[in-house]
Amino acid sequence: MSALPFAFLSPWLLAGLIVLPALYFLLRMVPPRPRSVHFPPLRLLLDIRSEESAARTPWWLILLRLGMAALIILALAAPILNPAPPVAPGSGPVALLVETGWASAPDWPQRVEAIESEIIRAETAGRPVALLDLGGGPSDLSITTPAGAREVLRTLAPRPDTSRPADHLDRITAFVREHAATEIVWFTSGLEARGGRAFAEGLAGIGNDSRVAVRVPARTTRALAGADNTPDALTVRVLRGESAAGESGSVRAFDLRGRPLGDTVFTFPDGDLQTTARFELPLELRNDIARLELADGRSAGGVQMLDERWRRRAVGLISGATADTAQPLLSPVYYLSRALEPFADVRNAAGGSASESVSTFVEDGVSVIAMADVGTLTPDAHDRLLAWVDNGGMLIRFAGSRLAAAEEDDLVPVRLRRGGRVLGGALAWSTPQGLGAFPPGSPFAGLPVAEEIKVNRQVLAEPSPDLAERTWAVLSDGTPLVTHRRQGTGTLVLFHVTADTVWSNLPISGVFVDMLRRTVALSGDAGTADATAEAGETAPATLAPTRTLDGTGAFRAPPPYAKPVPATGLPVADRDHPPGIYGPPDGFVAVNALEADAALARLDLDGLGVEVRSYVAAEPEPLAPWLMTAAFLALLADTILVLLLSGRMPRLRRAGATAALLAGAFLFHPVPGHAQEDKEMGAALTTRLAYVVTGDAEIDRISKAGLEGLTFELAARTAFEPGEPVGIDPARDELAFFPVIYWPVSESATTPPAETLARVDAYMKRGGSIIFDTRDAPFASTAGAANGALRRILAGLDVPELQQITPEHVLTKSFYLMSGFPGRFNEGPLWVEAQPTAEEQESGEADLVSSGDGVSPILITSNDLAGAWAADDQGRPLLPTVPSDPRQRELAYRAGINIVMYALTGNYKADQVHLPALLERLGQ
Amino acid sequence: MPRLVVSARRIAASVVHGLHGRRRSGTGENFWQFRRFNSGEPGSRIDWRRSARGDNLFVREHEWEAAHTVWLWIDTSSSMAYRSSLAEDSKAERAVIIGLALADLLVRGGERVGILGLGAPTASRRAIEVLAQRLASAPAGSGLPMAHALAPLEEGVLIGDFLAPEDEIAETVRTLSNRGARGHLLSISDPVEETFPFSGRTEFLDPEGAQRITLGRPQDLRAGYAARLQAHREAVDAAAAASLWSSGRHRTDNPATGALLALHAQLGAPVEGARL
Repeated sequence: MSALPFAFLSPWLLAGLIVLPALYFLLRMVPPRPRSVHFPPLRLLLDIRSEESAARTPWWLILLRLGMAALIILALAAPILNPAPPVAPGSGPVALLVETGWASAPDWPQRVEAIESEIIRAETAGRPVALLDLGGGPSDLSITTPAGAREVLRTLAPRPDTSRPADHLDRITAFVREHAATEIVWFTSGLEARGGRAFAEGLAGIGNDSRVAVRVPARTTRALAGADNTPDALTVRVLRGESAAGESGSVRAFDLRGRPLGDTVFTFPDGDLQTTARFELPLELRNDIARLELADGRSAGGVQMLDERWRRRAVGLISGATADTAQPLLSPVYYLSRALEPFADVRNAAGGSASESVSTFVEDGVSVIAMADVGTLTPDAHDRLLAWVDNGGMLIRFAGSRLAAAEEDDLVPVRLRRGGRVLGGALAWSTPQGLGAFPPGSPFAGLPVAEEIKVNRQVLAEPSPDLAERTWAVLSDGTPLVTHRRQGTGTLVLFHVTADTVWSNLPISGVFVDMLRRTVALSGDAGTADATAEAGETAPATLAPTRTLDGTGAFRAPPPYAKPVPATGLPVADRDHPPGIYGPPDGFVAVNALEADAALARLDLDGLGVEVRSYVAAEPEPLAPWLMTAAFLALLADTILVLLLSGRMPRLRRAGATAALLAGAFLFHPVPGHAQEDKEMGAALTTRLAYVVTGDAEIDRISKAGLEGLTFELAARTAFEPGEPVGIDPARDELAFFPVIYWPVSESATTPPAETLARVDAYMKRGGSIIFDTRDAPFASTAGAANGALRRILAGLDVPELQQITPEHVLTKSFYLMSGFPGRFNEGPLWVEAQPTAEEQESGEADLVSSGDGVSPILITSNDLAGAWAADDQGRPLLPTVPSDPRQRELAYRAGINIVMYALTGNYKADQVHLPALLERLGQ
Repeated sequence: MPRLVVSARRIAASVVHGLHGRRRSGTGENFWQFRRFNSGEPGSRIDWRRSARGDNLFVREHEWEAAHTVWLWIDTSSSMAYRSSLAEDSKAERAVIIGLALADLLVRGGERVGILGLGAPTASRRAIEVLAQRLASAPAGSGLPMAHALAPLEEGVLIGDFLAPEDEIAETVRTLSNRGARGHLLSISDPVEETFPFSGRTEFLDPEGAQRITLGRPQDLRAGYAARLQAHREAVDAAAAASLWSSGRHRTDNPATGALLALHAQLGAPVEGARL
């Protein structure tokens, strides 16, 4: 590499610079040609003035022209910025070692380019190539042709796991020993993961005339790890590999169906390797978060999936009283459910006895069971409950008359005295006790002690040596109010008062909610599988992968090599267990690419004697076009100057004034903010159809006329009277107001930027429908969606699986009974979101994939619907149908009405199919 | 040329026709005056009808209506072909229009009109076509007519830009009027030639010769040029006045009618000190 990142392709042309001095004299002698006019009274002019002496060209004009000539000469010499490195000397093979872990995903295209240019270099030098995927299983490094290497490269894609280059070191060493003068190029992700430094040292020490080059990205990937649902916020750690300057980014949260729930901004302080992103959302929303991902730089490491372990706990409520239902608002269950609802999933006993409820909850796998004044259970239920607690369940009990009267209850943390204690009663000396300060070791420590709490009655614990450490809360006289005991891996907690207000006013105080919140937060991971397994049912000990991430962090069908994970989950994904969701949708386990306490570090290559290069700087850029442009601008300036000199631009001043006026007009162009507001107000007040303004005037005119025609037909035939259709720009306008958006896509359409597509994606996720119309049915191949522009747009969207419309689809019967959906053309099929198959519906997996009330978020046709709907003021069609058939136009209107009705009514029409069956059932 | 013919006819028609006759007694059709009979006159001249009403004998005199030859000359040199962006016609076109229109007026007034050096005069009603044909077929001339003396009762009308040297112009006029012929000079100029609106580096070419001059700042010469032009015009006027000829000016950005009317009035009016 030369010192300057600058080279000439034809340096001999620079010799042309010699002529510049000659040009200088030539230019100096030849002044600009004057304007030449005929003038009959020339003789009169001659009488008063003799011939003028030859003028000299002004020096600055000469300078300009010399500069112009120099620029052209330089441009012809073809200068190149960042020239491709010269073909490396040497004859040995070039070994390309490619890391394919998730850390390579964000800049994968640049990697592929860099690898390809490396292959081209080897091809030019006639050296053989060997390409090794460091992320794959151990395989031999073997020599191929450049074409073969490209073939291999094409099959490579980022994997969701971490590459382990060190596993391959032996084979690489063997290869280099076999082939002298090997040039090794290691395309690393730049992160020190799984022995990167050791691998680099190994490479550097192979010897046998080998040279090692490492391509390192300038900026390594950011990753997410260790999500934690704290009481205040959902936090996730954001990691980076280099301690660079401060930077910020955002993390997005999605629910299980992929709907965005919120995003938050994180900021790396200067030099820190990690920071925390906090989602301060309401708890209900936080618990819906199933997936966090970094907004930029998509990779599997930048995705954090959350399962039940990050959710609020399910709490089963059991009351010993059967008569509670008479006054439900005074029952302990009511107080408890009100106190637990803000942070826990409260389930009430379905009825029946307490023992039956226990069995139900244990089978359901709740995390916490709260029992309000339950005395004795049946031995069977008691055993079950005990086994469940042993396995990690948390049992919260409240005292009461039944508990106080029960014999030999071992489901309490401390031994209780029979009968309980009455404070401040008519026959007692003592007064009602307040709440004492919480002991330091208690989970309640730090909560404010509310003065107004008075306890009138409680059950008393038998004194014992370990009573103090089992006590979480005490009364002001020191008697325990809340006690706990570890039982197996679970916990028993006892509130020594009732859950209603008979014994104390604790249940109606705010402290009660906080105490329960902290108690529930302590509950262990009583997973479904454990509970059911203990309950003696046949539950799988492992969970099969449902959807896994690919290297870029997108959900994919699990690869064939993915193996089931244990039901307790895995702390971190590995090669056999790619990150993703395992198990059924209602009890899945999330496996993430990074363990909770992971940290990233940048690969340290100092002092290894390897050549380190970046990925992107290798882009050679020819400078000739810029120089030519500069020369052309100089030519323009020269022309203007010569015109000025010869007095042929007498209107320059006026032109200048015009230019200033124009510039002013641009500057003071009114900002259309008000209009935007009006438009949104109008869109919100009246339901209307909308089309995307493409910028092609003809397409937009037809879209507008088409939607106007459809609006008219809708108003004439259905109960829906839409407002005037509007054209919208998805980049600026709020889309949420429109049930359906018509988006004509021509082959030449430009792809909207990523932010716009994100808005469109959010619109689709939140239940909107978009009709993409490629308007090219007669020319399209049978594969559909052959339109390149549409493919580019859809590539930026999270498009569900599509299928051609089936005769059973709701769209075929949402208003008219339709067999096809013609527009101007009749050939094109209509593609909609694939409906779940019958098996999927039964397994419940359908819920995971479908959203938006069963309405397909995307409809793709090529039939030019708007062209068929388009009508002029008198209702006469603007464009002919192909073939020209009035019946087809009628069918096109019907198709449009069906689509609008489908988007507006959702699954209502689908459910109507079942109406007779429902009525019949109701009748019985 | 057809355009010029049409335009000349239109302009001629716009000029009120009525200035004809010589305003003198002579042979003619129209009554001019009664005068007392002088003894020695032929008796046949006595107008008996008038004389019978009184004691004296009267002679009826008629207005002199002798056909009169007007010689036109139109400058067709290359300097006349000049037309600036400010003018409607080139100088030559304007000269032809005025000349032909004048010829039409004169012929309708009973005069005979010819073009100097291009055949005999004509009194035809179709004088415009006849003269236009002669003009069209004539070779390009020089800046001044071929000088030969006109007959005493003939009149000369010279239309051109008169940019030739002053003494040549004076010599030509003197020669033409040598035998007492009257005449009129109409100098046609382009507005640019008067206002000299040039600025910036300009090369001036002479359309007739190979002369050229390059001026760096012609705007500086504007005042000097105006003075020089004024002097030249005064010299031309003086040359005309010396032979009792009249002179007029016309600029091509003005309508041709004005120049035609002035010219026609000049032709009809007796000149101070004329020998007729």
